[in-house]
Amino acid sequence: MAKILAVDDSVSMRGMVAFTLRGAGHEVAEAENGQLALDIARGSSFDLVLADVNMPVMDGIAMVRELRAMDAYKGVPILMLTTESHTEKKMEGKAAGATGWLVKPFDPEQLLATVKRVLG
Amino acid sequence: MAGKRAAKQKDDGREPAADDAAVVVLPPDCRLAAQAALKAELLGVLEKGAIVVLDGSQVERADTAALQLLVLFRRELQACGGTLDWRGASETLNEAAGLLGLAQILELPAAGLA
Amino acid sequence: MSAVDLTQFHKTFFEESREGLDAMEAALLALDSGSTDHELVHTIFRAAHSIKGGAATFGFSDVAAFTHVAESLLEEVRSERRAVEAELIDLMLRSVDCLRAMLARSSSGQPVADADSEALRGELMRLASGEAAVATVVAPKAAPANGWDIRFVALPHLLQTGNDPLRLFRELQQLGRLEVRRAFVVDRAPARLADLDPSQCHLGWELRLHGAVARGDVDAVFDWLDGDCELAVEAMAEETPAAAAEPAPAGVPAATPAPAADPRPARETAVASSEGGSIRVGIDKVDALINMMGELVITQSMLSDIGENFQLSQLERLREGLLQLERTTRELQESVMRIRMLPIGSVFNRFPRLVRDLERKLGKQVKLELHGEHTELDKTVLEKIGDPLVHLVRNAIDHGLEMPAQRKAAGKAETGTLKLNAYHEGGNIVVQISDDGAGLNHAAIVAKAQQRGLIAAGQELSDAEVAELIFQPGFSTAAQATDLSGRGVGMDVVRRNVRDLGGSVGVRSESGKGSVFTIALPLTLAIIDGLVTAVGHERYIVPLTSIVESLRLRPEAVRRIAGGGEVFHFRDEYLPIMRLHRAFGCADAITDIERGIVVVIEDDNRRVGLLVDELLGQQQAVIKSLEAHYRRVQGVSGATILSDGSVALIVDVGGVVRLGRRSKAA
Repeated sequence: MAKILAVDDSVSMRGMVAFTLRGAGHEVAEAENGQLALDIARGSSFDLVLADVNMPVMDGIAMVRELRAMDAYKGVPILMLTTESHTEKKMEGKAAGATGWLVKPFDPEQLLATVKRVLG
Repeated sequence: MAGKRAAKQKDDGREPAADDAAVVVLPPDCRLAAQAALKAELLGVLEKGAIVVLDGSQVERADTAALQLLVLFRRELQACGGTLDWRGASETLNEAAGLLGLAQILELPAAGLA
Repeated sequence: MSAVDLTQFHKTFFEESREGLDAMEAALLALDSGSTDHELVHTIFRAAHSIKGGAATFGFSDVAAFTHVAESLLEEVRSERRAVEAELIDLMLRSVDCLRAMLARSSSGQPVADADSEALRGELMRLASGEAAVATVVAPKAAPANGWDIRFVALPHLLQTGNDPLRLFRELQQLGRLEVRRAFVVDRAPARLADLDPSQCHLGWELRLHGAVARGDVDAVFDWLDGDCELAVEAMAEETPAAAAEPAPAGVPAATPAPAADPRPARETAVASSEGGSIRVGIDKVDALINMMGELVITQSMLSDIGENFQLSQLERLREGLLQLERTTRELQESVMRIRMLPIGSVFNRFPRLVRDLERKLGKQVKLELHGEHTELDKTVLEKIGDPLVHLVRNAIDHGLEMPAQRKAAGKAETGTLKLNAYHEGGNIVVQISDDGAGLNHAAIVAKAQQRGLIAAGQELSDAEVAELIFQPGFSTAAQATDLSGRGVGMDVVRRNVRDLGGSVGVRSESGKGSVFTIALPLTLAIIDGLVTAVGHERYIVPLTSIVESLRLRPEAVRRIAGGGEVFHFRDEYLPIMRLHRAFGCADAITDIERGIVVVIEDDNRRVGLLVDELLGQQQAVIKSLEAHYRRVQGVSGATILSDGSVALIVDVGGVVRLGRRSKAA
């Protein structure tokens, strides 16, 4: 179905996201931080990027900013996976160019619903 | 690229509309990333009094940016006396234009019709 | 309920949470010792944050609730609204401990929150200036209207956020019938196509959504677009609202964390370690494996080429090929074994915390030095070496290092030094725990050993023999043990634990200068070089490293001693003979000592001779646990499969030597 890049430093969260999406028929690439995600994104194309906010090396916000600077990712949906219910983080993500967010904790069904929503 | 080739075919006289018309074929993936190229192509066929034929039959993916580009292209084409004609429009293109309320402005034919 | 079984991720979650807590602790300790590196705060925050997110996702609500409070405190620190104070660090370190315990209880399915964790959570909340867990309250949904008029004008950057009106409209369509009353190009759009940046959006719409749709549902469609568009949503003007057919959905109260676990006392049931265990492997190790596999494939194809139509002239090439095969196989084996190897740093990292706590508790000053953290140990060894090391470290601080005043009086620095060092030596990994304290108190040890009846009064002992005494069972007792190093566990237990890993432990000490405890561990547990011996129809493997010599004895060399034991003279000492056929009950074995062969093995400087029928040759043996497949057998450390497919038992040298010495003593 869609090609999705899942970025999270937590192996269990990333595993859950990737497993759920693959189960729904998507092709999923994984990255454990923003820097790695950028490297992967450069060499491929994705229909959707899901990214954690707090990550070592390069956090999700900086990653979104960099992705949006790349022509191929100008309009690609990027969802932040965030535990922050504070609006500041969401706004920071939005300002960087994120499409929207999915607030942790979420279960596989919520994830699939949101992905479906954003992929249209 | 397909569009360029098609544009050169304007003298082959196969289609009545194509006699003196420039033909632009919209790419299968017509989303944002493809639009710098599409825009350049559209600008190339934008001239006074021209008849431009768009072929949207191959479009598999379209977004708002694509339809906006087409709307603004048509607006400018009309402003300088040209006309827009369609050789075809895929279901995807029709659905997107319909949903955004732009099908009429673009005078899109129904899917499959030319 | 969910189609995806989340429990499969629990183990990973527990593993990474433990790692996160370790990182958190290390960073807290670094802050405690005065570091002002802001990255440390980020590390701590990130760890707490990840644990919270994972715990909430995987349904460990108690852990999530606890971490949430800790995280909000840390957020204040991160955003520099709160200073890093000793009190905060203490509280956070205790939180780390508490979370470790909570996670352990979670992973064994026990009730998670307890009185301690709740009390600590209370403390955290108080410190967080009453900014307690903010429950996200779901706003009550407004009563549905009959339809909505929506005016939606994109701001130029809308498309660059990855949001597409097309998608939004599709979503609205799911709620009710969507009518696009007007679509328009806004004035700011460039007049000329040439000036258009396709990624900028200049469109606007007037929409009408028909149907009894809740306002909240309409807002939810646009929730990501705050600041990206102009939006006006109004209840549909005409069409008088029909009588509300459905009751307005009641405001759903926020889901509260599961009630605290019931107050049953935590059962002390030993949790069977059901963990099959997983391992994280560096990509370099995997690459090495793949390279080796490549070579193996090449060798294999070369050999099958030769084999296809073999001529005698190719003998040399065949020999070469086989050599290459042997080399590659060995390398492959080593690489596979390396996968099990993990740096000892993960164990060492516990000690800064332990040392800090002990310093405070005992009023001593200790400088901890760690060396060789990158030295790799087999994962199984690593998991089991922690407790003995903790014991030795506690001991060194409790008994070895003196109080500052005492040290000063002795002309030493007030701060004592405790060194942990790990390195390779031969086929072993050596771990040393050394302190510059007072050293072993010979007089006190001898006195206590006499009192315990371990040695006779007036017996003269060398330094080494005195040091050995502390490892004797029954030497240390609860009476002598402080609550720190004691717990009724003595050095004999440390030695037994190390021996169970196939290792040894010893001590060197100099009065007034300190002690060095040295643990030697085998490089890996899973493979040994062994000597295959025959005893009747059975095959026994004796680890090569423990073999001193093999010899045939003449009958006159053997002496019978009281109690039925046999000894023989070997390099200035009499060694007990252990008849393996008797010890293991093998039928049809050689019973005449002069017809069999005696293999002298050594463990901890103690030797015995094993009587076997014959030596069949050297072989590498992959150890399979007998316990896992059968049960524990005395004198046997495992089993292996020989190249002919038969099963051989591996002799547990330590156990056999102890058995042999006992029968001699008897």
